[in-house]
Amino acid sequence: MTDVALSGYRRIREWVRPSVVISISAVVVAGLLGLVLIFAINVSVPDALSAFIDGTVGSPYAIAASINRSIAFALVGIGFVIANRANLINVGGEGQIAVGGIAATAVALYGGVAGLPAGLPFIIPLVAAMVAGVIWGSIAGVLKIKVGTNEVISTLLLSFIAVWLVYWCVQSPALLRKPMTSSATLPESLEIPDPTKLPLLTGDYSFPLNTGLPVTVVIAIVAGLLLARSLFGVQLRAVGFNPIAASRAGISYQRMVMFALAIAGALGGLAGGIMLLGDQYVLKDGFSSGYGFDGLVAGLLARGSVVGVIAAALLFGFLRSGGINMEMVAGVPTALVMVIQGLIVVTLAGAAYFIRQRQ
Amino acid sequence: MTWELFAVFIGSSVRLAVPLFLAGTGELVSERAGVLNMSIEGMMLTGAFGAAVGAWATGNPAIGLLIGVVAVAPVALLQAVLSNTLRANQIVTGIGINILILGATTLAYREIFGARSREQIPGLAKWSPPLLGDIPVFGEAVFQQVWLFYAGIAIIVLTALVLRYTALGIAIHAAGAEPRAVDKSGVSVTGIRYLGVMFAGFMSALAGAFLSIGDIHTFTEGMTRGAGYLAIAAVIFGKWTLTGTVLACLLFGAATALQFQLPTLGVNIPNAFLIMLPYVLALLAVGGLAGRQTAPRALGEPYIRR
Repeated sequence: MTDVALSGYRRIREWVRPSVVISISAVVVAGLLGLVLIFAINVSVPDALSAFIDGTVGSPYAIAASINRSIAFALVGIGFVIANRANLINVGGEGQIAVGGIAATAVALYGGVAGLPAGLPFIIPLVAAMVAGVIWGSIAGVLKIKVGTNEVISTLLLSFIAVWLVYWCVQSPALLRKPMTSSATLPESLEIPDPTKLPLLTGDYSFPLNTGLPVTVVIAIVAGLLLARSLFGVQLRAVGFNPIAASRAGISYQRMVMFALAIAGALGGLAGGIMLLGDQYVLKDGFSSGYGFDGLVAGLLARGSVVGVIAAALLFGFLRSGGINMEMVAGVPTALVMVIQGLIVVTLAGAAYFIRQRQ
Repeated sequence: MTWELFAVFIGSSVRLAVPLFLAGTGELVSERAGVLNMSIEGMMLTGAFGAAVGAWATGNPAIGLLIGVVAVAPVALLQAVLSNTLRANQIVTGIGINILILGATTLAYREIFGARSREQIPGLAKWSPPLLGDIPVFGEAVFQQVWLFYAGIAIIVLTALVLRYTALGIAIHAAGAEPRAVDKSGVSVTGIRYLGVMFAGFMSALAGAFLSIGDIHTFTEGMTRGAGYLAIAAVIFGKWTLTGTVLACLLFGAATALQFQLPTLGVNIPNAFLIMLPYVLALLAVGGLAGRQTAPRALGEPYIRR
């Protein structure tokens, strides 16, 4: 065999690792179980399937909408993977999305940015969203390094607080609620001005991919290189592996924890900003609707790989779109998608044992 | 504030704290044994759902409670197998189980109740102890509670005694602090930890049942709304002691009760802030109000026999 063929063979073996096989099997098995459940609740399986397919790849619109959903999952997932490299578990994606959305709305509506040139009308709100996410992530970081608070519980509580902050912002006319003209005025913000909306890639509303996509792709590449090829990636890993040994080697545990959680927060905030400026345009109560938790699951499933995050994010984006269409067309509750997701996570977490045994 | 209003406030604080300290006690035992049980939220939801369906189907809330407990057993067993035998990441499995349960109970709820949603479900009977129940004003507002409340307190007292005075209590404590030593003494670390997780499941089932058939007599989708996570925060705030955990739960209960009480007193604080308050308090609590944290040394680490 030539060297080239050999390295190709190695590469295939590398790719078809037991973990990849098990991940795919878990997804397939959970999907089949979903079909059984659809049958069990007396919905015609072909009807449900055709609704699912229509909602995922049935039209250019469906495809673009699914990919737009995946963007938020991917950003939160990448943040999770970066923090996880330092052995931190950021469960706060939901809250980071929420504060990102609040900041983006506030700046887009009241920051006087609509008249600025050259993309600034949407860039400034996105930066504000990232800053808000950094602040939210850093709170957990400060608690971790100052008091030793487990970041799982702090980021989780911060998520609950942030979700209620959104509610507060849209309920109170002193904050972001639109002016009350009658008692029927909905508790939501005004729609953001047109210049602050993210431009569509194609300019065509029947295929509404937005500028968030290239931004996310660039971030994914940078994150992949950062983790695999940079000193920063090595330092993160060192701290995650053994904080004491790392500090003997001159790597500050405190600094790395702060960086890791701030970056995760920034990406979560950005995800919230993109959701708001790219797709929703109006801040509403519960706008984050579990996106942060789905992103977290995408990060978990990826086992530290940025490529894995993208794959899981796309899977969940399409799964969610299909699930929504199944509910609207075939009357299958979207809760079914949650069951499938939960099954995937539990199966993969348990399967890790068998992967360890094999290796 | 009149005495009547104060009594109502105390009563509703206690009632709102009950699910927290039932689940918190379970979580405490599990964590003392070394298993961080993030699936409390899902277990509570399962208990609430099982109890609601059971009470509705049989017309007997006591049987409903039993069905709630039985329904949680497989969930707790799943968590126990994953975190002990398969040595999976305990946080990941907990969150996975919570997502699974939220989806499954919502799906099953729509299937079973469908159009009849928000149906009133027969609830547990109320009881007030002699003497305490006769105290003017406070007797009715504070001490008239469903019998599960008193049964729960009895179980918590019993748990405290077992943890403090029995060999089992020492073994649970040691399984979280020095698992290797427990193993050397011939006691199974895995066995103790299974017991801890199953007990957490049992207590969460009671907590969930209290929500659905003790307090509001109906089931709503995702009705635990983060109570399980508050219970976990209470364990941290209570520095892994039972008394501390229960006190923390009472504090969170009082903070939750404020959102119903302050508006009636004409105090003008945004509702959203009051809803947020228990979570803010919990964050402050885990963020250092409690002082230096003293988690069981082997918490969250699966035990591997050598």
